[in-house]
Amino acid sequence: MSAGRKILAGLLAWTGVVTAAHLTLNFDWSAAWNDRLPAAKRKLNVAYIPVTCHLACPVTDFISRYSLDGALFIPRMFQGFPEIKEALISDRMQVGFMVAPMAIALVAQGVPIKIVYLGHRYGSAVVVRKDGPIRSVRDLAGKTIAIPSRFSDERLIVFKALKQNGMTGADVHLIEMAPPDVAGALAAGAIDAFSMGEPYPSQAELGGFGRVLFHAREYWPDYMSCVVVVRQDVIDRRPQAVQILVDGIARSGLWLDEGRPHREHAADFVARYYFRQKPEVLRHALTEPLDRVIYTKLSPRKPDFDMVRDLMIETAVLDRRIAFEEYVDPRFAEGATTQTAWKYEPGSGKAE
Amino acid sequence: MTSRGRLEAILLPAAAVAVLIALWHMAVRWTGTNVFPSPGAVARGFAELARKGLLLRYSRDSLLRVAAGYGAALAVGIPAGVFLGWRPAAARAANPVIQLLRPISPLAWIPVAIVLFGVSNVAAVFLIFLASLFPILVSAMNGVRGVPAMYRDAGRNFGLSERALLSRVVFPAALPEILTGLRLALGIAWIVVVAAEMIAVDSGLGYLVIDSRNAGKRYDLVVAAMLSIGAVGLVLNLIVQRVSRLRAVRWGFREETP
Repeated sequence: MSAGRKILAGLLAWTGVVTAAHLTLNFDWSAAWNDRLPAAKRKLNVAYIPVTCHLACPVTDFISRYSLDGALFIPRMFQGFPEIKEALISDRMQVGFMVAPMAIALVAQGVPIKIVYLGHRYGSAVVVRKDGPIRSVRDLAGKTIAIPSRFSDERLIVFKALKQNGMTGADVHLIEMAPPDVAGALAAGAIDAFSMGEPYPSQAELGGFGRVLFHAREYWPDYMSCVVVVRQDVIDRRPQAVQILVDGIARSGLWLDEGRPHREHAADFVARYYFRQKPEVLRHALTEPLDRVIYTKLSPRKPDFDMVRDLMIETAVLDRRIAFEEYVDPRFAEGATTQTAWKYEPGSGKAE
Repeated sequence: MTSRGRLEAILLPAAAVAVLIALWHMAVRWTGTNVFPSPGAVARGFAELARKGLLLRYSRDSLLRVAAGYGAALAVGIPAGVFLGWRPAAARAANPVIQLLRPISPLAWIPVAIVLFGVSNVAAVFLIFLASLFPILVSAMNGVRGVPAMYRDAGRNFGLSERALLSRVVFPAALPEILTGLRLALGIAWIVVVAAEMIAVDSGLGYLVIDSRNAGKRYDLVVAAMLSIGAVGLVLNLIVQRVSRLRAVRWGFREETP
């Protein structure tokens, strides 16, 4: 064999090895298969990040795999909200869990999406260093607080708390951070506090370096954080698929609220197979106490959203009084009210 | 340069830019994307940023950070590099460590920078310092090491003290190579400022990219911020090119001198 041929053969072999490795290690076959199906039969891609507010997404995926119909959609985990926003805008994802104000802001900016359901209620908290000087909301003056996004309810509860204590947003320094980074940043002393959804407050508490200054519900009784948004073209063309998705998520919520064993089981499989976190942290967030977060009563309600919208305008992240109907499509949540919890017990291997 | 040559030097790049902008505009039109901004939208984004006074302020803040980090790298890198180049034994001792640390991307240092300096200006400056230190250090070391032995011997024969030999013979002889390192390091420092400003400082062109990204669907501002970074980098490079034409070092760049 000549030198040229040897080099060519070597290159071909190398390309073959890399391609084979890529296809076995990196390539998501189920997603690729899904993309080849005709549009009407394709499963929806659902974006979420590892927070309890998005927990119903992996729970539904896990349980529905045991049902006769199989998995209802394709879940995809992200690490932050800007990435989810980009995936939704560019139609890589058709459905996404995101903070409610971000959904409202995107609609106001002309992105064709609608809110169809809520993620969960409660579950966000402002956490400070355990041994630090911050003992009350007033002590937050001049401190740096991490929030998931300028468009987040976690930011709004900081404003609410400040206002009730006679302060304003100008008294603190807010920075945007990906939720998975905040506990480490607090432990390292890079920030003075964070306002974030579970399980990050639990992570800081269990890690021994964080203390909950206040829970969101102390300033906002029916607190909601994240919502499920769907692209308008999917709602228009495939309302049935959206209904199946919302039904599945609603059934998971009912299942999660049936008691401690379900919560503990969910903490275990979601932490292991989806979030890739320590199960203890998620178990703490879901069970200490059980109503730290709740997964029922999740239909979008106008008064909740009007309040969010007005707070957004007050804190200068929205410039017009956008109407509830412009960014919420309530019919899927209404359609899901007749649903019942999944019939699934840990280890039973079947669900219906 | 003849007047025709001068005209070409301006017209040709201008034509290339015009073609690129036309292609960009067409690509946005043809694909019908409603995500990626057209040149017109980006121009309006520029106008919005300029009106708010952000462009100048953020450019200044980024340049100040680069100046601080780069300045610190100069202050540490050149003396250390000259020393290592002058003392081969020290260079042999330090070289493995330098070669180990050099390929670590400044991005990989972000967690360490935050732990050491918090979410602050200092952390960003530290990253720029790290990124520019190694090119400067290594070029100074190699520059001094590469000075022909004949120069040193001649200096010694003239009875120069070691200090005078370093400052009047070795350092000037090494200067062209050191300047190449400086130019390289400045380019890298400017690239790293974007990454450095992503760690929660609240000004600068890198921050502008992140801030625009977080502002919902404002990709016009993202692209405007990107182009601003490129424009400032272009100006920096022009300045450095001018410096390398100074008389004191011109002899070192044989191919570039007329």
